[in-house]
Amino acid sequence: MNLARFTATTVAQLKMTFRRRITLFWSLAFPMILMSLLALLFGRSVSAGSLVVAGDTRDAPIAAMVKVLDHTKGLSVHTVADGATAIRQVKNGDHDAALVFAIRNGPAPGGVVAELYTSSTSATQAGIIKGIVSGAASGVSVAATGSTPAISFSPRSVDSASLSYIDFLLPGILALSIMISAVIGLSTVLVHWRQQGILRRLKLTPIPLSEFFAARITASLSVAVLQVVVLLAFGRLAWGIHISSTAWAAIPVALAGCLCFLAMGFAIGSVVSSPETGDAVSNVVTNPMMFLSGTFIPVSAMPGFVQQIAKVLPLYYMANGLRDTTVRGLSISHVAGDIGVLLLISAVLAVVALRTFRWEPGT
Amino acid sequence: MTAAISVSGLTKRYGDHVAVGGVSFEVAQGESFGILGPNGAGKTTTLEMIEGLRKPDAGDVSVLGVPVWPDPKRIQERIGVQLQSTSLFEMLSARELLVLFARFYKRSDAEARAAKVLAQVGLEAKAADYANTLSGGQQQRLAIALALVHDPEIVFLDEPTTGLDPQARHNLWEVIRSINEDQGKTVVLTTHYLEEAEQLCQRVAIMDQSRIVALDTPSGLIAALDADARVSYTDGTGEHVLYVKDAQATVLDLLEQARSDGRSVTGLAVKGADLEDVFLNLTGSAYRE
Repeated sequence: MNLARFTATTVAQLKMTFRRRITLFWSLAFPMILMSLLALLFGRSVSAGSLVVAGDTRDAPIAAMVKVLDHTKGLSVHTVADGATAIRQVKNGDHDAALVFAIRNGPAPGGVVAELYTSSTSATQAGIIKGIVSGAASGVSVAATGSTPAISFSPRSVDSASLSYIDFLLPGILALSIMISAVIGLSTVLVHWRQQGILRRLKLTPIPLSEFFAARITASLSVAVLQVVVLLAFGRLAWGIHISSTAWAAIPVALAGCLCFLAMGFAIGSVVSSPETGDAVSNVVTNPMMFLSGTFIPVSAMPGFVQQIAKVLPLYYMANGLRDTTVRGLSISHVAGDIGVLLLISAVLAVVALRTFRWEPGT
Repeated sequence: MTAAISVSGLTKRYGDHVAVGGVSFEVAQGESFGILGPNGAGKTTTLEMIEGLRKPDAGDVSVLGVPVWPDPKRIQERIGVQLQSTSLFEMLSARELLVLFARFYKRSDAEARAAKVLAQVGLEAKAADYANTLSGGQQQRLAIALALVHDPEIVFLDEPTTGLDPQARHNLWEVIRSINEDQGKTVVLTTHYLEEAEQLCQRVAIMDQSRIVALDTPSGLIAALDADARVSYTDGTGEHVLYVKDAQATVLDLLEQARSDGRSVTGLAVKGADLEDVFLNLTGSAYRE
């Protein structure tokens, strides 16, 4: 490896990347537009959905909790007299979830039991409401007694707890845009270079293929870092999202994720023969991931088997890692596992890519 | 002096098809050497085995005394190659591409080299244009500049003027001539234009159906025909081509004979013998470009 040559090649790759308007669109403009659209549609007022509450509102803890829920931005709260009515309304699709309170009569009389009924027809809202209710319950409990919960509530998941939808969305879209830039970017370019004889021409020069692609990868990783910085700044400035102080740890997550998707792009570009097939395969691989990996919708709000699928998808780990570090305030040690998984998948895909690599179009 | 290129028994097969069947020749340093033949004759395959792009199935090839195989990297810095069809990286200007390629060869004077070869191929005015926006002739010039950027001793040009209009072709001939004559580099080119081989090459190997059928200077090849002129005409029995030493006597005889026989002769043409006639004579089939 020759440093001057490597640097010159990396700079040339960056020029090629940034001079292509379509690349800039997909890596920076598209995620901003998508995020703004989704935020306008679901982020502010209607996102959380509608909740129907049944229970004795003269009871102080219940009244307090209903009040908290009523004040939650984006959540509309309706009250009905009895639990059966509330549940039926959820079944009919009038509301997204029903919260049914009951005064406990057993060993600790006066305590309140709350049950949240949701329907799979509005899974997104159910997931969000679950988080809100769980948060409200613990808030009220502490306020009422100081220690022992006045209302006991067992949520299935607190995935989106304390996160508004837009907070949830930002790291997801960031992960998505890094994935698209890396997979599409490398697969189409590789097919193009091979089809046009550019790889053969390179073979005649002294630069080793490994050094040439190391330069390309370095250029792509720089783009990923730029995406992190620009999109987090956009989220902060345009949508007032609070970015955690641990957000710097998003960079190693983004780098590991980008590496993984570059390996995927390289593998796709090696296997397919025409740019059109390359695009098609890239889309077939990335589109399902987009919806199954918790980019737009919390994975916990999805059916169990989908949750299992998500756990083998690299985008899930990148989105998780980015979310933990940028908006949840978790430190790098919390995402070390995500980074590890991403690097492991990168290694596997890199082996596939190297084994299928071809200098020339198939004969 | 070591030969620039020495090839013996070079063979390449693709399945049952023999692309190059035992080709042997030598090219001297400073020579300009042409491989002439129709499409599919095996010119490009021969060239690419010498350049180190395709591994021969049999035979030996060495460049400047160094065997090309099994490690073509050993000759890379001493040869410059223009491939038959290479498009170049998009979104880089002609100058940026040249600087990048000079860097590939670890040249520390990359900018200076780029400026120099741009001048050599007459592309200074287009230095800042993206390679993919250049015309066909300009792209070929750039491809040749890329072959020259590391100042190699031997330059390989694979059909450098194919697809260009006559004006662009003649301009490119000047560039190629100056690489050989002014810079003293060995030039090896393939072409399917007879005129191009005649104009640019000191020696020409004629390839047909994967073999070399003749190898000499253009004038030597024509002299071997043992005819100075080609006389063609059409009469009642069909089209005729004669290779003759004395065109004047032949034509006079022909016309005399025709008059006494009462035949009419049309389309009578006399021209000096050229490589086309050599090819026709060697292969028995008319040359198709």
